[in-house]
Amino acid sequence: MDQKHIRNFCIIAHIDHGKSTLADRILEMTDTVSERDMKAQILDEMDLERERGITIKLNAVQLIYHAEDGEDYLFNLIDTPGHVDFTYEVSRSLAACEGAVLVVDSTQGVQAQTLANTYLALDNGLEIIPVINKVDMNNSQPDVTKHEIEEIIGLDCENAPLISARTGLNVSAVLEKIVHEIPAPTGSPDAPLKALVFDSFYDPYRGVIALVRIREGKLKVGDKVRFMATGAEYEVSEAGIRNPNEVKVSELECGYVGWFAASIKSIQDVRVGDTVTSVSNPASEPLAGYRKLNPMVYCGLYPSDAAKYEDLHDALDKLQLNDASLQYEAETSQALGFGFRCGFLGLLHMDVIQERLEREYNLDLICTAPSVIYHTYLTDGSMIEIDNPARMPDAVRIDHIEEPYVKAEIMVPDDYIGAVMELCQNKRGIFKSMDVIDAGRNIIVYELPLSEIIFDFFDRLKSCSKGYASLDYELIGYRREDLVRMDILLNGEPVDALSVIIHRQDGYKRGSDITRRLKELIPRQQFEIPVQAAVGGKVIARTNIKSLRKNVLAKCYGGDISRKKKLLEKQKEGKKRMKNVGSVTIPQEAFMAVLSMNDDPKK
Amino acid sequence: MIPKNKDPEYLYLHVPFCESICYYCDFCHVVYHAGMAEKWLDAVSYELEQRHVNRELKTIYIGGGTPTSLSAAELEKLLCLLDPYRAQVREYTVEVNPGTLDDEKADILKRHGVNRVSVGMQSGNDELLKTIGRKHTFEDVRNCIGILRKAGICSFSLDIMYGLPGQTMQDLDETLADALSLEPGHLSLYSLTIPENTVFARRGVQPADEDLEADMYEHIVSVLTGRGYEHYEISNFALPGCRSLHNQAYWRYDDFYGIGAGASGKENHVRYDHPSSLKAYIEDPMRTDDTPLTLNDEMFENLMMSLRMREGLDMRQFQERYGVSFEQVFGTKAQRWIDEKYLIYENQHVRCTEKGMEILNTVLADMMDEVQ
Repeated sequence: MDQKHIRNFCIIAHIDHGKSTLADRILEMTDTVSERDMKAQILDEMDLERERGITIKLNAVQLIYHAEDGEDYLFNLIDTPGHVDFTYEVSRSLAACEGAVLVVDSTQGVQAQTLANTYLALDNGLEIIPVINKVDMNNSQPDVTKHEIEEIIGLDCENAPLISARTGLNVSAVLEKIVHEIPAPTGSPDAPLKALVFDSFYDPYRGVIALVRIREGKLKVGDKVRFMATGAEYEVSEAGIRNPNEVKVSELECGYVGWFAASIKSIQDVRVGDTVTSVSNPASEPLAGYRKLNPMVYCGLYPSDAAKYEDLHDALDKLQLNDASLQYEAETSQALGFGFRCGFLGLLHMDVIQERLEREYNLDLICTAPSVIYHTYLTDGSMIEIDNPARMPDAVRIDHIEEPYVKAEIMVPDDYIGAVMELCQNKRGIFKSMDVIDAGRNIIVYELPLSEIIFDFFDRLKSCSKGYASLDYELIGYRREDLVRMDILLNGEPVDALSVIIHRQDGYKRGSDITRRLKELIPRQQFEIPVQAAVGGKVIARTNIKSLRKNVLAKCYGGDISRKKKLLEKQKEGKKRMKNVGSVTIPQEAFMAVLSMNDDPKK
Repeated sequence: MIPKNKDPEYLYLHVPFCESICYYCDFCHVVYHAGMAEKWLDAVSYELEQRHVNRELKTIYIGGGTPTSLSAAELEKLLCLLDPYRAQVREYTVEVNPGTLDDEKADILKRHGVNRVSVGMQSGNDELLKTIGRKHTFEDVRNCIGILRKAGICSFSLDIMYGLPGQTMQDLDETLADALSLEPGHLSLYSLTIPENTVFARRGVQPADEDLEADMYEHIVSVLTGRGYEHYEISNFALPGCRSLHNQAYWRYDDFYGIGAGASGKENHVRYDHPSSLKAYIEDPMRTDDTPLTLNDEMFENLMMSLRMREGLDMRQFQERYGVSFEQVFGTKAQRWIDEKYLIYENQHVRCTEKGMEILNTVLADMMDEVQ
């Protein structure tokens, strides 16, 4: 099909505003997918995505749309992940498009990620089609929502379609707008090849599959291609599109979105944002915008059963095939034995990886509390990056420590301003500004240490605002702070995996919080266990876990055997999630306890 | 090839009726209803026949529910059904709730050879009895024992609960004194547990604090052993010669029949569970959920039951039953618990020490690894 009839677009939205549902309707209405094949939300492939209702991996489908003008158009719908952890990936998939459909839930109005995603789309020069969703709901306020979009974002909403992605109402208007308002791709079919990599995944039979948008030139099976950032060269063995089933083609033309395979073994060669060019007729400059992603959050992953170390290694290898932003290296903990220090783009990314390891690879894991990278300046003038609190050198060797800060933009209704500010204050936040954006809603900007928001900030923000506050954040650099390492001792022995970096002034408070939490979480054992928190070798908080005294079923006769056995099995199952550290058995949750906040001892 | 076991010599019969439901109970029970009792008796009769129950039983135990919530005529009919099997019976126990036994029923029991009664006393404190949903007082318990003695049934056991909501050590001490004043040959003392599907669970009642419960347990052991009772199983105490033969069969992991809705039996390497629905039982008394027991299942369950007894697990019998020695199967794990003085080898038995008994679940959950 000629370029004039191609439309490359994506759908952007705040989480749960209906992006995936709209994608489903579009797929149905373009006759691409028969209803029989339709699972709810086709673009979310992994079970986990479906379950959590979030899109993690990107995906692209080609559709044929019979427009009202009587002509057929080729649509490429590129899905984008909907979470702050994946901002860079979102921006690259946006870069593969000429336009974006901005979905706003008319029961909620503009939210933090609505703004963040819209700005990303504008940065990439996209034409934006605002769409007002969920107008079939009782509490829908389409006019208010339109007004918000015009006021806050500055997009004209006069003709914005009022739709229900759920029922399909007015989705046809969206399709027509895509035809008329989103420009066709430009780019010369005769120029040297420039293809933007916006996603990749690993196929066990064909190696890494790269998803690309052809910006200039064309990509043919048999071509030798080069990834310009990594320099890797391969011969294209297969190319194709998805509709959403895989369809092979002999070439991807200029303006097209598709995939290619080239017996690529390492996903490290195929970086999102990189430019693919031809080896024989290379482009002089890559496409703009490539950047290597660095993890922001680290944690230790250890198998509960030390014998499963190799299994964990294999599983991480396999996951990394699909996920270039997952990093890991072997590490050893005195308490936990052999495991891996893993780096993630953010907390959601970490959760997803942990869950996949447990679910898809059947591993019982002990995860240490997440940490950021601390820039530690030593007295000899050198700087080391510390991603594991246990590795923090002794205070005498440290000149000073810097930690990463983020700028957090929180959108919040009037009623919850106090609660949100208190939360930020408790997390060492520095208030920057508060702006009223329209009746009853505000944007509060705080600068916060990343370490304070990586654990439970998002959950707490949601709970203290009854779900109304929304968050977007970006890294703004490193700042010097008075930080110290706090060690936790169980039965007199320091447990390295429980060490945590804290602000010196919080020492006593955090120390007593953590020891109390550990006392709640660590089950009683056959002997009494002192729990101590120490900074610089000085104990600043202490409590005791009393010894186990009674654990026996009172009644056990002939009819109770099955019940009793189930009870023991349950007890044993619980133990699987625990780790023996010295003589003490510690449950998984205890390793997270060091980060939990003071005000809610039950959580 | 696992050898076929000989026929069971022990029989448990479950009477699913009660006059009211206690707050802590999740056993199979329905409120007594005359028409249902008739149909249930027919079903029991059918099951006894179909099962070809061994006529040389050593013990019979009729539990519930409340067996004495049946009318005198129904009770008579039930015991008649069991008459053909009791020629060799040495111990014939019926559970009795105070307030449901009169002279007539006691005479029926006596006439049919019942020689032991287990009385649900639970507490000596009438206020506490009310708190847990019991409909009787301690005075009713005393009267009940009087009725039994008059009928000539002198061997009885008292069931007592501790760790009740609001119960203090002093309450417990008084209950023990009350119980001992009745001169029972046997006592069973259970800490309150709150299973799902009980009134207490729905009301959100919390079990007693672990330390208080442990203190109470230790107090009970010291008081009763001081009065000459043998602490022969975790929750059971008996004067010499008064141990429950029937219950010891469970703990020695012998086969037994389980008759009636909600009852479980074990015969020839299969455990069968009757559904607890009375309706389902009446429709088809032989319908059971059957669990074939593997060698590993049996070795572990045998250990699990036998460690409850002071005498422990008979290691010679273990070898005979399973063709492998206890040490081969459990020796490695057992050694750690022996080193820490929770278990002990003695007279070809392995048994719990006092402190081992208190945390037996922890010991067993660990030993379970060896057979999985």
